[in-house]
Amino acid sequence: MQQVINVFLIGISIGSIYALMSLALVLVWRSTRVVNFAQAGQAIVTTYVAWEVVNRSGSFLMAFIVVVAIGGLIGGLVESGMMRTLFKHASDGPVASVAPVIATLGLLGVIRALVGLIWTNEGKRFESPVSTAGFVIGDTTLPFSRLNLLIICTAAFVMIVFSIVFQRTNLGLALRAAAYNPEIARLSGVKVAMTRTIGWVFAGAAGAVAGILLSPNDSLTPYSLDVLFVFGFVAAVVGGLESLVGAVVGGLVLGVGLSFITFYLGTSLVFPTAFIVLVVVLLVRPSGLFGVKGARSA
Amino acid sequence: MIGSFRKKGLVAASAIVAIAGLALSAVPAQAAEVGVTATSIKIGTTVPLTGIAGPGYAKVAPAMKAYFDYVNANGGINGRKIEFIIKDDRYLPPVSVEKTNELILKDKVFATVGQLGTANNLAINSRVRLGSRGVPSLFVNTGFSGFADKKKFPTLFPLFSSYRMEAKIMGGYIKENFAGKKIGLIYQNDDFGADALKGFESAGVKFDVSIPYVSGTQGAATATTWIQKLAAAKVEVVYIFGVTTATAAAVGVAFAAGYKPQWIFGSVGADATTIVGQTTVPVALLNGALSMSFMPDAADTTDEYVKFFREVNTTYNNNATFDNNIMAGMNGAMMVAQALKAAGPNPTRKGLIAAIESKGSTFASAGYPPIGFSATSRVGYTGFWIGKYNQTGSLIPVEAKGTIYTTDSANGPVVKTTSKRPALPTKGLPN
Amino acid sequence: MLKRKHEESSKREHNPYRRRILFFLLLGWALLLLGDRVSELRVYQGALIAIYALAIGSLILLTGYSGQLSLGQGAFMAIGAYAAALTQIYLQPPIIITFISAVVVAALFGAIIGGGAARLSGPYLAGTTLALALGLPTLANLFSFLGGETGLYFDVGIAPERFGSEFTLYKWFFWIAALATLIMLFFIQNILKSRYGRAWKAGRSNPAAAQLVGLHVGRRKVLAFTISAGVAGLAGALLGMVSLVAPSTFTLSLSFAIITGAVLAGLTSLTGSILGGLVLVIIPEIAEMVSGNFGESEAVRANIPGLITGLLLILTVLFTPNGPAEQWRHHQEKKKQKALEKQKN
Repeated sequence: MQQVINVFLIGISIGSIYALMSLALVLVWRSTRVVNFAQAGQAIVTTYVAWEVVNRSGSFLMAFIVVVAIGGLIGGLVESGMMRTLFKHASDGPVASVAPVIATLGLLGVIRALVGLIWTNEGKRFESPVSTAGFVIGDTTLPFSRLNLLIICTAAFVMIVFSIVFQRTNLGLALRAAAYNPEIARLSGVKVAMTRTIGWVFAGAAGAVAGILLSPNDSLTPYSLDVLFVFGFVAAVVGGLESLVGAVVGGLVLGVGLSFITFYLGTSLVFPTAFIVLVVVLLVRPSGLFGVKGARSA
Repeated sequence: MIGSFRKKGLVAASAIVAIAGLALSAVPAQAAEVGVTATSIKIGTTVPLTGIAGPGYAKVAPAMKAYFDYVNANGGINGRKIEFIIKDDRYLPPVSVEKTNELILKDKVFATVGQLGTANNLAINSRVRLGSRGVPSLFVNTGFSGFADKKKFPTLFPLFSSYRMEAKIMGGYIKENFAGKKIGLIYQNDDFGADALKGFESAGVKFDVSIPYVSGTQGAATATTWIQKLAAAKVEVVYIFGVTTATAAAVGVAFAAGYKPQWIFGSVGADATTIVGQTTVPVALLNGALSMSFMPDAADTTDEYVKFFREVNTTYNNNATFDNNIMAGMNGAMMVAQALKAAGPNPTRKGLIAAIESKGSTFASAGYPPIGFSATSRVGYTGFWIGKYNQTGSLIPVEAKGTIYTTDSANGPVVKTTSKRPALPTKGLPN
Repeated sequence: MLKRKHEESSKREHNPYRRRILFFLLLGWALLLLGDRVSELRVYQGALIAIYALAIGSLILLTGYSGQLSLGQGAFMAIGAYAAALTQIYLQPPIIITFISAVVVAALFGAIIGGGAARLSGPYLAGTTLALALGLPTLANLFSFLGGETGLYFDVGIAPERFGSEFTLYKWFFWIAALATLIMLFFIQNILKSRYGRAWKAGRSNPAAAQLVGLHVGRRKVLAFTISAGVAGLAGALLGMVSLVAPSTFTLSLSFAIITGAVLAGLTSLTGSILGGLVLVIIPEIAEMVSGNFGESEAVRANIPGLITGLLLILTVLFTPNGPAEQWRHHQEKKKQKALEKQKN
């Protein structure tokens, strides 16, 4: 029983990181109908920046703020720069449907290479801001540490902020309207192009937080976040690419599920499991747990 | 009409060109031995500079280069300078194959030296066929016992005492000193780890908990599962047989979880400086852990070889933080230099191999155990000394200094003996 | 009027077929000559070019003509490679059987995955195949007979005795790879120009209309996946022959490299695939040169290829979405049209 609780808690911790990445992907999808394969790339840049900030100032909080700001900035720049150019040029021809995928993949490669050039490919140690020692209750030590708690709290904080913005502010209303029906939104005076960019800004910030939370556990390399992207994508599909709530739930469910698989069956089964989950969901309920039907084909 | 005529003409023309081409093509005969000029000898290596095995092992090749630079500054070998090419293979066998191809086909090296990794060297030798190409592969950085097979690897010389030897010797120590306690093993799940398993079998040691892991997956997440299993089974002695990043992960997670077994580190992943650099574990926590080595510990400044290598490190290696990886690199380089010298003023690949077979067992090196090279044997070092870490991360011998255990990579007995290591040659140069 | 058009079109179909055979034969001859004149290093690279060209061809078949983008060609290559390795190790048949088994097994997986994927499109398909590319090679660590990280090594043997002792190992690999690639590319080109190829094109550009005309779009998509996977499987087996059959041979970077090559080639143009393969082999050479200028920095050497690849992808898809060659042709045609109009006036 004790083991089960341990595994579950670890799952929630890592699941909340997946939830953030998944959130980022869903935000981008809802605003521009594109899966941003470079999301992990953007996050790795911000994570390295965070590493620099932590090294120089020692303050994780400062790194967090910086990272959120830069993550948002990068997201906005990518959308208004590359993606808008893409939509203008490659709107027809055989490549149209795959062009955004290719472009974001290319961006991922470029970002990764630049990161490797600036910081080298060697693993960097990312000091955890809080203790990674497990909580001690009585004479047993849980595998759940202050770091895990910080991860869950931070992720929850971000999600609460997002949900307030989306549900309670005019900006959020505009974003939702533009995603749902751009034509009508435009008629109502919503600057649709601006909302697209803002969607990417929020996504960039969310992805950046995911990256910074994942890194204190392991060594940081330009490839560290590839896995995060895949799991974020699976989580987003499971939850439904259309649904922000789904993104979060999908992330948590996936995190807990994979945690159990890792413990009882070993790490080698993690990827195959994620893949099978992805395929099953796409075949059986493509719109995800929370999605609206008919939203699967581009 | 004209079109088909033109086509026929084209076909005929290409046929003539093809036949002529085949007839004329010939490969020019070789002049001097590959990689050797009047003023230089070109050698190369493939090591992990980045990737999962980068931490720690990335220091080996630059340390080798530092020693070669020292030799070059002191006249070189028989009047030739050593040109040393280092290629990063990220510890991935396919990349090792690719980089070795570059060394042989593009850079055209005389020999490869110190190539690192069990799986890597196995892949290189089977795919690139160093043996049938006649390319010597000297003193590979791995302890896999299978490399001592002269028939399978005709141009390869291992150096390290093998993993089988290590497991057998430490297995015997465990039986003597930890009888009745619960013992656990974490090992890399490939030929590297399998070699150790055979050694344990020879020693008759059975582990209560045995955890294989896939090379490349050793990180905090995986290590957490190891520690959870071991702690749940109340294992008291844990032997970890993996590269340094695996040791670091295990120790780091165990520390965070409050799990404190008697640690035994496989020699390959035992460098204290690297481990501490990879975790938040204070070096004092390594105090009491056991390990083995066939060379003096990097912190032992009373040893003449250690002193010498430290000097070379200061001058020629940018005064990098001296550790056991640098020791291993320089030691291997010293062996290479003596081999090249023994090959004579007109070195050939065949001559190099013959020279090591006849003179290799007399080469000077920091290793304590005797070297077993001969016309029939490709076994390098034949044993280890056992040590315990102290508060500052130095490995201190548990018995008198110079006491070593020697054995073979089969089922022969473990013999306790005293080392008769050759003295450091003048100025540390091959004579 | 219709009858004459029909006659003309059938004549046009005959000649291109013969022309195609001739083209491939000449190409084969040229490669034969080339193989004899160059060093073993170049021949080794030649084998790699052939393998990449084949892999790119498989992707062009899938994407350019049926509109589905797969990020997972690396996975099918891995399947083919493991199938070949296992066949060779346990059954030891003649080489050709080994390669055929690679094609068949990979095609089988392609059919299964295609069956599921036929209902997916756009980013869903991309993401799923990405997960496949990342996850499939790790299966090798689950079952010990798959060799784990050390990988499997399969031996196609050295060249037959009658070629002489100068006939190096890599030249032999080059011959095998080049031959396989030429045959397969010829085969693919025929499919693309045939009825099936046209049906795929229709299915891609306007599924609704295609359906109305009676083309089973779904089934054709699965077929495209199957054949594409089979071809990728062969490329993978060839790569396994030259390198090692291990998970780290079939990385995500490989899948990305193939996509880059295909995009550069022009996702719809098969002849560009050989060029694409050439570019992929040249990029690391460029990286070596550049890193040499920066003092042999390992960081530079390791990352420049990724940088170049990524930039090429972005620039190509932004400004020449149908590939530089196609863009140039388009440009030339426009120029001709303008010239014609000027003449009229």
